[in-house]
Amino acid sequence: MTAAEMADFKKNVNEVSKKIKTLSTDFVQYKHMDFLAKDIETSGKMNFKEPNLLQWQYKKPYNYSIVFKNGKILINDEGKKSAMDVGSSKIFAKLNKLIVGSVSGNLFDDKEFDITYFRSKGQFLTKLVPKDAALKKYIKQIELTFDKDDFTVVQVRLLESSEDYTRIVLKNKILNAKIDDSIFTN
Amino acid sequence: MQKSTILFLLTSVLLISCASNPVVKDYVSKTPEKQSFDVPYFANAETDYVYKANISVYGNELSGIFIAKKINETTHRIVFTTEFGNKLMDFEISETDFKVNSIVPELDRKILINTLKTDFRLLLRHHFAVQEQFENAENRVYKSEEGSRFNYLFVSKSNGKVLKIVQSSKRKEKINLSFTSENNIFAEQIIIQHHNIDLRIEFNYFKPQSN
Repeated sequence: MTAAEMADFKKNVNEVSKKIKTLSTDFVQYKHMDFLAKDIETSGKMNFKEPNLLQWQYKKPYNYSIVFKNGKILINDEGKKSAMDVGSSKIFAKLNKLIVGSVSGNLFDDKEFDITYFRSKGQFLTKLVPKDAALKKYIKQIELTFDKDDFTVVQVRLLESSEDYTRIVLKNKILNAKIDDSIFTN
Repeated sequence: MQKSTILFLLTSVLLISCASNPVVKDYVSKTPEKQSFDVPYFANAETDYVYKANISVYGNELSGIFIAKKINETTHRIVFTTEFGNKLMDFEISETDFKVNSIVPELDRKILINTLKTDFRLLLRHHFAVQEQFENAENRVYKSEEGSRFNYLFVSKSNGKVLKIVQSSKRKEKINLSFTSENNIFAEQIIIQHHNIDLRIEFNYFKPQSN
């Protein structure tokens, strides 16, 4: 991408992500590891509400829901509930911000990441390398793929190494529909 | 009168022999009909063994995905990830070797790694030499020595399925692995219960998605 294209792309993504008040989407997650014959596939629904309410709900092949809310992580694992306080954990705060940012596209913080921009198969691709050493231990690189027409994220790839990554494909995305706060309980 | 004396003597002998071995209490000792026994559950190098895992340790709950794969004749690779796919630990394990490929700092504790090493080694082991055999009406039990410990393999007489493996010291049960399997090739559910520490690990087979 040229400097002008890059600036244009960033402006578009920022404008779109600023307008996102709520986001609801289906997702399919593929865990890839080189030594496995097949990627491990799980799927479900994700809900996000400004500024930082987030729910990941796995529905297949098991029911597992995780809510990020006010510095807490609430888990419902096949009906078994638990909560974790993550207010004190910097790494979780960063991971949380990263997940929310990945989905809303609002991750372009040069202080946190070294970012490179590409155009690929008619889509936009950004590669983000965390600067924080602690975060880097968990995630080596994040790749966000954006739809070329509406500048929303269509795929997130979290790389732990070149042989080992998680790819999340977002589909049936609904922007700014009313989402009640009550769904962010577990 | 004589009959009851014999019965009494028989019962006493049985009680004495049972008392010396708590794992096979109520079982009768038999001459081993085979010298070794193979457990089928993690033996296929073509299969990705993927399970939802729930670990309960001293009141703390931890869940994630457990993955095991036979990578060569002797060795399995084992990975434990969160539901999001973040890798928490990655080991390579055989009967004689053990290698930590990676582990997150929060779990990098020697006692935990050693416990899991023992558990997974027992879980993934295919071949057991048999030194003794016991039986009751339902099951055959093959006893296999392993250093200072003993492994007892409980096999159903009616369908040949491996139901559980108990690892014990001379006196006490240490670890109990129980299996639920429909076809006797693959275990749908596995429960690893420790007796000397408060640790329980449950694996439930992760059915591939059909889209």
